[in-house]
Amino acid sequence: MATTPETAERIRRDGRFGLKDLKGKAFEGVLIAATLVGIVALFVLFGYMFVDAVGPLAASAEWYLLFFATLVAPTSAFALYVRRRPAARHMNARAFAAVFGGLAISLAAWVVFDATGPHGLLLYAVLASISPLLIAGYGKRVERSMFVGPAMVVTTLAAILLTLGTEVLVFALFDVIARLVGWLPVVGSLQLPVAPALLVTAISTGGPTIAVLWYLRRRRASTRTYLLVPVVAGISGLGTAGLDFWLQPTVDLLPDWLAYLGLVGLPVAAFVAVAVARRANVRRSLLAGGAVVAGNLAVGGLALAVSVDPSFWIVLFSGTVVPVGYVVGDAIIAKREGTVGLLGPFVLLGGVLFGAFLEDVIGATGPDSWLTPTLLLNSWNGLDPARAGAYPSIVGSIMIVSVMALLSFPVGVGAAIYLEEYAPDTGMAGRFANFVEINIANLAGVPSVVYGLLGLALFNNALDFPPGIVLSASATLGLLILPIVIVSAQEAIRAVPDSLRQGSYGMGASRWQTLRNVVLPEAIPGILTGTILALGRAIGETAPLIVISVPVFGGSPGGLFSSGAALPLRIYTSSANAIPAYRKGVLAALAIVLLALMLTMNAVAILLRNRYRTADT
Amino acid sequence: MSQQRGTEGPDLERPEFVVRKERYYRRLLAGCAALTVAVTLGIIVALSGGALTFFGDVSIVEFLTGSNWSPLVPPAEYGVLPLVSGTLIIVVGSAVVALPVGLGAAIYLSEYANPRVRAVLKPGLEILAGIPTVIYGYFALVYLTPILDAPLPIEQVIIPSWLAFSLPLVPGGIPLLPEFTLVVSEFVFVFPSLRAFNALSASIAVGIMIIPMVSSISEDAMSSVPDDLREAAYGLGSTKFDVSTKVVVPAATSGIISSYVLALSRAIGETMIVTMAGGQSPKMPFFPNVAQNFTESIEAMTAAIVEIATAESLGQTATYDAMFAIGLTLFALTLAMNILAELVRRRFREAY
Repeated sequence: MATTPETAERIRRDGRFGLKDLKGKAFEGVLIAATLVGIVALFVLFGYMFVDAVGPLAASAEWYLLFFATLVAPTSAFALYVRRRPAARHMNARAFAAVFGGLAISLAAWVVFDATGPHGLLLYAVLASISPLLIAGYGKRVERSMFVGPAMVVTTLAAILLTLGTEVLVFALFDVIARLVGWLPVVGSLQLPVAPALLVTAISTGGPTIAVLWYLRRRRASTRTYLLVPVVAGISGLGTAGLDFWLQPTVDLLPDWLAYLGLVGLPVAAFVAVAVARRANVRRSLLAGGAVVAGNLAVGGLALAVSVDPSFWIVLFSGTVVPVGYVVGDAIIAKREGTVGLLGPFVLLGGVLFGAFLEDVIGATGPDSWLTPTLLLNSWNGLDPARAGAYPSIVGSIMIVSVMALLSFPVGVGAAIYLEEYAPDTGMAGRFANFVEINIANLAGVPSVVYGLLGLALFNNALDFPPGIVLSASATLGLLILPIVIVSAQEAIRAVPDSLRQGSYGMGASRWQTLRNVVLPEAIPGILTGTILALGRAIGETAPLIVISVPVFGGSPGGLFSSGAALPLRIYTSSANAIPAYRKGVLAALAIVLLALMLTMNAVAILLRNRYRTADT
Repeated sequence: MSQQRGTEGPDLERPEFVVRKERYYRRLLAGCAALTVAVTLGIIVALSGGALTFFGDVSIVEFLTGSNWSPLVPPAEYGVLPLVSGTLIIVVGSAVVALPVGLGAAIYLSEYANPRVRAVLKPGLEILAGIPTVIYGYFALVYLTPILDAPLPIEQVIIPSWLAFSLPLVPGGIPLLPEFTLVVSEFVFVFPSLRAFNALSASIAVGIMIIPMVSSISEDAMSSVPDDLREAAYGLGSTKFDVSTKVVVPAATSGIISSYVLALSRAIGETMIVTMAGGQSPKMPFFPNVAQNFTESIEAMTAAIVEIATAESLGQTATYDAMFAIGLTLFALTLAMNILAELVRRRFREAY
C-alpha cells in the first residue's frame, strides 16, 4: 500500500544514525510479533495436542527411517519432479482429487448408509426420482419443453414431502396450525367434525388435485390431459396413505448389497454415462455406464465368492475406483500430456502400505498413538480409554452436516440470487432487499447459542419433535450458517461479469434463462467454495447442539428422525473426564479427527477453487 | 445488475407460461430472502416468549439486580449480575489480548508487509477464527491452564514493611475538621495460582480467537486510506512509523473502532471456550484484588445457558425459561453492538 518515495528516504538518511530509525525498527518488530503471536500460540498448542495424540516420541529410530524411506522420500521426490512440469502437475492434482475426494466421499456415504440402512433410502430415492425422470423423458419427446424444469422440481419436492414427510412433517405442521388456531377466541373452541388424520389426508390429497383441475380448466386443456387429474389424486393419495410403508417390506427382501448397488452403483453409472455422452457419443456413454455396472457386479460377485459382505466394496468401487478410472481412462484415451502425474496419489498410498508392511516385518516400534482404528470404529467407553471410540459421533456429525447442506444450500443460494439479480434498488422491493441485507449482516453476528435456543423453541417445543433428532440439529445449524452461505454466494454471483448477462439478454433470453444458463454455471464454483467453507465451520459447532439436547450417549443415528450424535459434543462432554488418559490422549486424538474432517472439507473447497481458476485461463 | 434491460421488447412475444414461470421463480427466490427475516423474527419471538414466561415468575428487577445465580439448587435464585460479571471478565481479558495484537497485525499487514508475506500471513491469521471453538476450549482447559499456572502463585512486594508508615495529616482535637491519618501499610501483590477452571485461560483463548476479526476489518479500513495521504506525509519528511501512527491509524479510526466492537460482541457470545475452560460457578467480581477475578472459576451468560440446557428433566419451570431470558439479554446486547459498529463505521467514515 504504502509507497516510500526514495528521495524522502535519502534526505532522511543523510544525517546520522538517529533515534528515529531505531524507533521505526522497534515498531516494525513489535508489529511482526503482534502478527505472529496468535499463529505461534495456536501452533504451540497444536504441537502439544499432536504429541499427546500421536506420541511420536515413543517411536524407534528405525521406524522413522522406514517412514522417511517409504513415504517422505518418494512423495517429495515425485512432488519435486512434477513441480517443473505444468501438464504433469495438472494431472497430479486431478488424480489426487479423484483418489482422495472419492475416498472421502465414499467413506462418508458408506458410514451414513450403514447407519440408516440402505433399504429405506433406496425406496425414497426411487419414489422421489420416478416422477422427475418420467417428466424429463416426456419433455425430450415433445416440442414445448419449457414446463420440464419446474415440473421436475415440483414433483420431486411433492414426492419427498408425501413419502418421507407425511407422518412427521405434515402432521406436525397441521398440529402447529391447529395450536395457532386454538389460541383464537371463538374458532379455537370449535370441535373438528372429523378425525385429524382424515383431515390431513383430505387436504394433502385434495389440494394438489383441485389445483391441477383448476389449472387445466383455466387453460381450456384438451380432454386427454384431464387424465392428469386422477394421476395426481392417486399419487398424492398413495403418498399420504403411506405408499412407502406398503412398499417397505418388499424392498426389505432385497439383499443388502443389491440395495447398495441400486442406491450407489446405478446412479454413479448413470452419472458416468451422462458425463461421457456430453464428451463423446451415445454408444461410448452406454459402454461406460455398462462398464460401471459390470464392475459393480463383478466386485459383488467376487466378494460373495470369498464370502465377504460385498456392500462396502460396492460403495468403495463406485465412489473411488470409478472416478479414478474415469480420470485415468480419460487421460489415456485422449492421449493427454503429463500422464505420469497420475502416479502421484499411488506413490503416496503405496508408500503407506509398503511402510506398514515393512514395519510388521521388521517389528519396528511405531509411535504410541491414540489415533487408532479402535478410536475411529468403536463406540464410546467411559471407563477404559484404550477401548473408547467415537464412531457413532463421527457418523452423526457427517449425517447432520450433509442434511444441513441439503437444507441450507438451496435457500441460501436462492436468497443470494434474489438479492443480486432480481431485487431492484428502489421502491418497495428495493427497500425490502435493503432490509434483508442489513438483517443478514446482523444475523451473522448473533451468537450460536442463541440459534440453539431458536431451534429449541421451534423444533422441540413448537413442532414437538423428539429432542435432539438429526433433522432439528441440521435445520438449526442450517439457519446458523445461512448468512455465511448467502454472503459468499452473493460474492460469487457478483463476480460474474455483467457483459455475459448483457449478451444473454441480447439474444432474447429471459431473466431466469440468463440465470440458469449463464450466471449460475459461471458462479457455481465460487458458490460451492464459500458454502463448503461454511459447512466446515458448522461441523465444529457445539453450543446449538447442546441446547437442542442432542444426546451424547447412544449409537449412530438411524435416520432423519432418530437421535443425533456429534463429534464436538463428545469432545465437550469428555473434557471433564477425571481419568487423565482421556483428557490427554483420547480427546487429543478426537480433536485431530474433528480438525481432519474440517480440513477435508476445506481441501475440497480449495480444489474446486483451483479447478475454477484453471478453467478460467 | 438490477436495472437489466432487455426483458422489455421481446417480452410480449414470450409464451404466457414462460412469463408466469419467471414470476413464480422470482417469488420463490424472494421467499428465500424473506426467510432470513423470518429467522430474525423467529429468534425474537422464541426468546421473548420464553423470557415473558420467565418474567411472569421472577420479577425483572430481581433478575437484573440480584447478585446470586443458583437456578438448579433450591431455593432457586435468579440474579443475573454474577453472570454479567463473568462475561465482562472474559470480555476484558480477551480485549487485552486481542485488541492491541489485532491492531498491530493490521498495521503490519497493511503498511509494512510486502505482498508475498501478506499472502501467507493473512490466511494464516484467518485460520485462528476457523478453528472450532470446542477445540479452543479443550486447548485452554488441558494445555493453557497448566502452562499459565506453572509460575504461579506470584507474590510481589510492592510496599515493603520498612516503608510502611502512618502520618497524622490532621491531628485530632482541631475543631471542625475530622481527624485524618494517612496510613501506608505493607502491601504484597498476590497473583494466586489458577483453579482447574479459570477465567484467565478462557479469556486468552477467546482473545486468540477474535484476533483475526480485529485485524481483518481494521486492515480493510487502513487499506482504504488513499495513498495520497501517505505520500503527502512522506513528502513532509515523515518516517514510516510516523505515517503509520499519525496518518493511517487516525484516518482509519472508524474502521478500527467498529472492528473492536464487533470482536467484543463475538467474545460476549462465545460459548464453548467459556463453558469448558471458565467453569460453571457464578461469582460477583472480587474488587480490590483484581487478579483473583481471572484465577477463579466463573460462569458467563452463555455458560449459564449451557448449564441449564444440560441439566436433566427440567420440564417447563422458571429455570428452563431463564435460559430464554439470558438468551434475550445476549441477543439484545450483541445486536446493539453490531448496530453500533455499523453506525460508527458509517458516521465517522472519512469521505475521500
